[in-house]
Amino acid sequence: MSSAVGRPGNRGEVTGQGRGLGLRDSSYTWVSLLAGAIIWEVAARGLQFSFLPPFSSVLRAAFELIASGQVTSHLAASLINLGIGYGLAVTGGIALGLLMGRKQWVAYVLEPYVSALLATPKLIFVPLVYALFGLSRGTQIAVVFLSSFFVIAVNSMAGIRSVDRTYVEMARAFGASERQLFWKVLLPGSLPLTMAGVRLGMDHAVKGMIGGEMFITLFGLGALLRRYGDRFDSPRLFAVLLVVVSVALACSAVVREVERRVTAWDGEGT
Amino acid sequence: MLGRINRRIRWRSQAGLRLLSALLLALVWELLARRLDSLLLPGCVETIAALARLAASSELWQALWLSNQALVLGFLLAALVGVPLGLMMGRWRAADRYLDPYLSILLATPKAALIPIVIMATGLGLISRVLITFAFAVVVITVNARAGLRMINPSWTEMARSYTATEAQLWRKVLVPGALPAIVTGLRLGVARAISGMVSVELLLVAVGIGRMILDFQGTYNAPSLYATVLVVVFEAVLLLEASRWLERRIAPWVSQGAAR
Amino acid sequence: MIELRDCHKTYIAQNGQAAVLALDGVELTIQSGEFVCLLGPSGCGKTTLLKAIAGLLRLDAGEVRINGQPVTGPGTDRAMVFQDFALLPWANVVANVAFGLELRGVAKEIREQTARELIHAVGLTGFEGHYPRQLSGGMQQRVGLARALAVNPDILLMDEPFGAVDAQTRRLLQEDLLSVLGRTPKTVVFVTHSMEEAVRLGDRVVLMSPRPGRVRDTVTVDLPRPRPSDLERHPRFADLTEYLWQQLKEMQR
Repeated sequence: MSSAVGRPGNRGEVTGQGRGLGLRDSSYTWVSLLAGAIIWEVAARGLQFSFLPPFSSVLRAAFELIASGQVTSHLAASLINLGIGYGLAVTGGIALGLLMGRKQWVAYVLEPYVSALLATPKLIFVPLVYALFGLSRGTQIAVVFLSSFFVIAVNSMAGIRSVDRTYVEMARAFGASERQLFWKVLLPGSLPLTMAGVRLGMDHAVKGMIGGEMFITLFGLGALLRRYGDRFDSPRLFAVLLVVVSVALACSAVVREVERRVTAWDGEGT
Repeated sequence: MLGRINRRIRWRSQAGLRLLSALLLALVWELLARRLDSLLLPGCVETIAALARLAASSELWQALWLSNQALVLGFLLAALVGVPLGLMMGRWRAADRYLDPYLSILLATPKAALIPIVIMATGLGLISRVLITFAFAVVVITVNARAGLRMINPSWTEMARSYTATEAQLWRKVLVPGALPAIVTGLRLGVARAISGMVSVELLLVAVGIGRMILDFQGTYNAPSLYATVLVVVFEAVLLLEASRWLERRIAPWVSQGAAR
Repeated sequence: MIELRDCHKTYIAQNGQAAVLALDGVELTIQSGEFVCLLGPSGCGKTTLLKAIAGLLRLDAGEVRINGQPVTGPGTDRAMVFQDFALLPWANVVANVAFGLELRGVAKEIREQTARELIHAVGLTGFEGHYPRQLSGGMQQRVGLARALAVNPDILLMDEPFGAVDAQTRRLLQEDLLSVLGRTPKTVVFVTHSMEEAVRLGDRVVLMSPRPGRVRDTVTVDLPRPRPSDLERHPRFADLTEYLWQQLKEMQR
């Protein structure tokens, strides 16, 4: 039932591009994106599907929305909820993960629930949270929190467990107390996997944020997506989508950079 | 030393510990619900009763049948598209260079955001649900298939070439078997994403099946049934994922390590 | 002085492996300042014995005494050097060398000062800011040695410390170890399964036999100190290593 121990993100499973930038930083990337934009433009004009607006009109809609401040106010709301929910998930998740990694019995008791909740799509809990918190900021923050909490907890637990026993033995040989062992060996040693979890948690947090906003439809970028979708306003829909993608990439990049810095000493992993 | 103690109380006490904590959890839940006595938080007993009622009725099973159609079809489509695509990207640098940015973008994008577009294009029927489930699952499957190909020891390819293997033979004898473990991992992750897709589209835009039931119960403040249905989804997710993991272990024993999700 | 009396240790059967009688009534006395090598094939209990002296494991029967006091756990009078170096990967060389001192609450300036002196003593000047993954095996072990020396132990416990490096580096490390000890003598218990290494380094070689782990023989190394650089040519060197080799060969059967 449990998620097993392993190396950061990239051995065994690929759930992201690992450390470093979300997008590969090369000229091919830009050429490819440019080519894609051109193809989009041509195809859209040619095919004339109502759901596929030309790239140019999407850009125009984007400028309009941003200039009029529409997007920015919703974006701000989204980001605030994201920040609070994610922040809580990181602190809570790491704390729980460390506890579970350190105390065998805690892990044993909690693991079934954590695994089950990890496996379940978090959006399913939105109606429950909505019932409890109503139409408020609290719901949104709770959704972001739930989306990222479990991934972070599981990975920081794996992080503690992954610390090579040799380091523990060495520290004991030099007379380390249990407290010293935790702070000076287990905690730093658990960083690679913990940070992988934090990175994955950010990806999930953004997804939870959008999903939650699309459900509640009161504020945020997700709400805008619903609104324009309902109105069949495809240029604006795509425009907001572009903003969402940019936000997702930006948040991801920030966390990856933090991860890279914090675990620079780790020779293994990707 | 704790290890020794742990080992000794292993089988009996640890199972008992889990059971005890589960009962404790149920008790706390029940007491909390009674205390709060709100319409919104059902008691543990109520919920289990509602679950039993649902399980006995045909409504639940029909809803599951309907919802899972999209899941199965979408996942299969994602596998059929994603695995070859990933393998191709792994094998030919050129394809990878040009397609990778889109893959990365899609990977980072919340797939739920794509739902309105798909709905606009294909309406509210099964096709749109299948397409959305497909969209949720295809990216992880592709990325893992690609990684699987890359992980193959280059010496194997060289060796096969030196024995004059053709491209087709190379694929059949070296590349596909070599990438298989990672492919299976990708499929497991794809299952999780597909479930997410199935749930997302039903809760957000196309109210059918399980999603419809949840929304209905929510609308009528039928909290016990609401919680019960959510539990059903949790069960299904856990079941499908455990089955995937088991399958994965059968095919590739060394791969069950890795950061979660 | 280290005294081991009637030491017994059995590793319980687990994971389908049978129980191992690692130590079966081992008796040994090591004088202060002596360099004793524990030599034997795999499974003869030499690492177990070392860890018992270090206080990292508890014996099933018998006792270890240091200067009359029984060993109950790790202590400030002993320091260990590990075969796989066991350097903390997230700390640089200075931090690693100062680790033992940090655990004992020594003030930052003092412990870093001590660390730098020892880094110089083991020949790693200039590498203070480096991280373990940037260092070769030989360099990493020098850091391990410096770390052990930093806490100024009476007893150095070395668990096949040069086993994980290549032959040339091994030779260099052996010579460096001897020169460091020449300046600051310590009691050393050195685990190895190389006869040449045992004779080159030790005052006494304790041969241990496996399954069950017992002391089979003790050989006094009557070679001059400090060891000449052409030690292999010394007649006694060949005699001693030949004798040890014969003993080891018999144990393999």
